[in-house]
Parts: sequence; C-alpha cells; structure tokens
Amino acid sequence: MLNRRSLFAAMGAMGSLVGAAFTSRRAQAGTYTSTNLSPRGDMAPRGSNGRFERIPDLDLESKYDFVTGFRKFQNRFSPLVRDRVEKIMAERGMDPQTPVTMAQAVELVKDDMLVQTSGRTWISNQQVTWKIFQDYYHEHAEEYLAEMEAADNDGPGTVELNPDLEIPDYIRHEIHIMPGGYVGDPFAGHIYHHGTNSFSAGVSILGDNEQDQIQIAAAEKLPLPADGQVKRILDLGCGIGRLTVALKERFPDAEVWGIDVAGPLVRYAHMRARDIGVDVNFAQRNAEDTQFPDGHFDIVTSLIINHEMTDEANKRVVREAYRLVRPNGYYYPIDFRTVGDKNRASSQYRRWWDHRWNCEPWSPGFVAFDFEAEIEKAGFTINRDTKPVMFGFGARHAVKSV
Amino acid sequence: MAKTKLQTERPTYTSEYIPTDAERAVFLGNPVLDNLMSSVIALGSEVWSTRRRMHVLEALLEEKGVTNDMIEQYVPSEEQQAKWEKDRDRFIDLTYSPLLREGDLPVTAPYEHDKS
Repeated sequence: MLNRRSLFAAMGAMGSLVGAAFTSRRAQAGTYTSTNLSPRGDMAPRGSNGRFERIPDLDLESKYDFVTGFRKFQNRFSPLVRDRVEKIMAERGMDPQTPVTMAQAVELVKDDMLVQTSGRTWISNQQVTWKIFQDYYHEHAEEYLAEMEAADNDGPGTVELNPDLEIPDYIRHEIHIMPGGYVGDPFAGHIYHHGTNSFSAGVSILGDNEQDQIQIAAAEKLPLPADGQVKRILDLGCGIGRLTVALKERFPDAEVWGIDVAGPLVRYAHMRARDIGVDVNFAQRNAEDTQFPDGHFDIVTSLIINHEMTDEANKRVVREAYRLVRPNGYYYPIDFRTVGDKNRASSQYRRWWDHRWNCEPWSPGFVAFDFEAEIEKAGFTINRDTKPVMFGFGARHAVKSV
Repeated sequence: MAKTKLQTERPTYTSEYIPTDAERAVFLGNPVLDNLMSSVIALGSEVWSTRRRMHVLEALLEEKGVTNDMIEQYVPSEEQQAKWEKDRDRFIDLTYSPLLREGDLPVTAPYEHDKS
C-alpha cells in the first residue's frame, strides 16, 4: 500500500502539485481500490467498489447477503399482519380504519402467533446481523484499531475526539439493539455502516446505499439560502458522516463540519471521509451545546437524529440550531413526519415493537411531538413551499429571518 | 448473543452504554420456540454462506488454477450477482415460507374420517 504521508512529503517542494494530487485523488474516488491509492494503514483486504470498501471476508459478506435477503422476505409479512389486525378489529366490532394508540394496537394482536412470528423473526435476523459484524471486528480488533489510529491524525480532513465529553443518557441505549449502541463498542461505526446498508436494501427503493446514494440525494435536494451564500455547513449528529461528506461534495468550497457525541462514530466517519478523499471536519461534540460561535453557519442540518432523542433534548437542539444559523441561513432537520399518537392499528403495532424490541426508546414520543411548533417557537419560520428532501420524511426548511 | 467487552490496550473512545433486554423477549409464548426461531435464522446464514462460497468456487473452477486468494478476491459479474440473488431468494422461500402459514387447527381438531 502506498504511504500517502511519504508521497506528500516528497511533493512538499512542489506545492501546486500537492493540490493537483488532491484533485487527482478526488477524481479517482470512484475507482479507488486498496491497491492504487490506499491511505496509510488502510484495511481493505478485498478492495473497494466505488466508495464502498468491500466487506472484508467472503463468508462475512455472504452472511450479510443472507440477512439482507431475509429483510426483503420479511416484507411479505406486512400485508398478512395488516389483514390479521383488521380481521381482529372487525371481529370485535371495530372499524378497521379507526386510528388507535400503540397500547390499543398491542392489545389487539398480542396473542396472534402470525403477527408475533413476524416480530420474532425480524428481531432474530437483526441480532444475527449485528453479531456477525461485531464478532468479525473483535476478532481482528488490533488491525482495525491500528487503522483508525493511523487515520486519526491523517487528512484530508480532521477529527477532534473528546473522551471527557459527557454523553447524554438518552443516547447510551443500544439503539436498534446494536451491541454496545453508538457509544459502547470501538467498532460502532463499522458495525452500524453495514447494518444500516442491510436495512436500506431491505426497505428502501434506493437499495443498499453502498455508494451513499441516499445521503447524496438528500444533500442535492437541500435548498440554497435566499442569498445563495454557503460558506459553512454543520451536520448535527452526523453518525458515520455520510451526509457530511455528501454536503462537502455538493458545496466543495464550503467549510463542512459533522459532530456527534459518539467517539467511535466520528472516528470512523473521519477515516472514511479521508479514504474517499473528502476534506471535512468531524468532532465529538453534543448537538445541544456545540461550542461554535453565534451565527457561524449558513446551513445547519441533521439526518434522522431527532427520533433518537428525548423531546427535551430536541427542544435544546432546536434552540442551539437557532443560535448557530446566521441571518437568512436555515436549519433543516431531516427526520420522520410527526403524526400524533394515533394511527392505523397495523402501523401502530409496527412502531410499538420497533420501539420496544428494536430499542427505539424515543421514536414514539418524537412522532407524537409537535416538532414544527418547537422549531417556530425557537424563532425560525418554516418555509411551507419546500418539499421534503427525503421521500416520506418531514419538510422542515426553517429559515432564520433577519 | 454473548456480548464481550473488547480487551485492548489501544484507545477506543467508548463510553458506558445502557443494555437492551431484547435477549429476553418471548414473542411466541414459549422461550424455547423463540430460541428455536433464532437458531433457524442463524442456521440459514451459515448454510447460505456455504452455498455462496460454492458459487464462487464453481465460478472459479471454470477458469484455470484456483487459490484461496483468488476465491477471496473474486468479484461477481452483474449477471452472476443477479443469478445468485435469485438463488438466495429461492433458498429463503424454501426455508422460511412455512412461517407465513396461518395454522388454526388445534392438534385435537375433529377429523372428518374419524368415526364419532
């Protein structure tokens, strides 16, 4: 593997060529493999497909392929569950279309074995998904930890780690039943990356998301500020940094930051951005208290963090976003639509077991929360003409008026 | 699923987490049934990984001289990938379609051919 530090040292006397090398590297991002422009310490034993480092072991990749196929199979339960719920409601003299609470939905189907088989198999498949990746990375821990250490102080881009950061309790849970959650396993970024790709392949029309197509599409659809000026962008709760990177790719001249409370996630985010060759800054910081100056950003955004936070934390994040956005800039949190606390029984049951058994502690609270009202209470004006940047999600283009 | 905290001298930047109780979930009224279902799904991943490796081997054996490195580095063509996914879905259909059956007859259900 090529030592990029040596490469750049050798080119130090030819400053202009350094820039050219970055340009060249970025141009090659689409064809990057472990054998042409591997960064220092890079672990990609099976090469890359575009910006996706192939799953590092054939049997692991095949097990991933299985759990992903099983997620697609699981979709066949959905119409059956809906029919069973509606049949049970009809038997009890209820209109099957009547919106119900989650507790009512659970009561309706708790003894229905087909519905319970649907939940059981989904959770079991999820457990297999996490276990195969955690086992692999723990077995090869020294190599992969060394890879992250090599990346920590290497660029392009930077990562700021803060082991003393106080982690809010609400994010310490094993969300999605991922072992150790976002904060407790050193390979949380690696494990989450593959797990979320499998989830996407199972449920999204955009497929496995190996090329970050979901985040790239979202970044492309974000509106420009009214004056068109984008000098600085902040991605709150950036996780593994896929949206952060996509934002830099859309706005190459902007200074782009991604922050997250989870150290393992921002480490992985930086390593991956550096592997792709994109110059972004990641920091282990709390979205409720970011430490950036007032009015520092033209755009503040986030992708699916709000439903993983308590209502009170969301209120604090919205107030912080208002402080951070410059006049005529905007805040656009991308997350679920909020629909209240009643819905169709089958939807409510699905949300309940995702909440209860897939460890989404705060999701039902968020869906019932008047998030838009909170955003406007902070001082923003929501532009109702802006369409959602992601299909099925809320449109919250919150402008800070002068 | 056993969870072991990684033992290493290297910095990990991890924090304490709050564990889920999903391991104790009983969806099917009997923990043995739940455990059996989990085992069946895990078994599926093992069987499928063996079959998928066989696909790689078969593809490579059509060419000349096969080494383990060659197997690991093999990249399926789009056509092969589509074929393999079709086989995967057939495998899953065979193994798990029974889960979709809506059985409603108790073991003591009357049988029309029995004499009363």
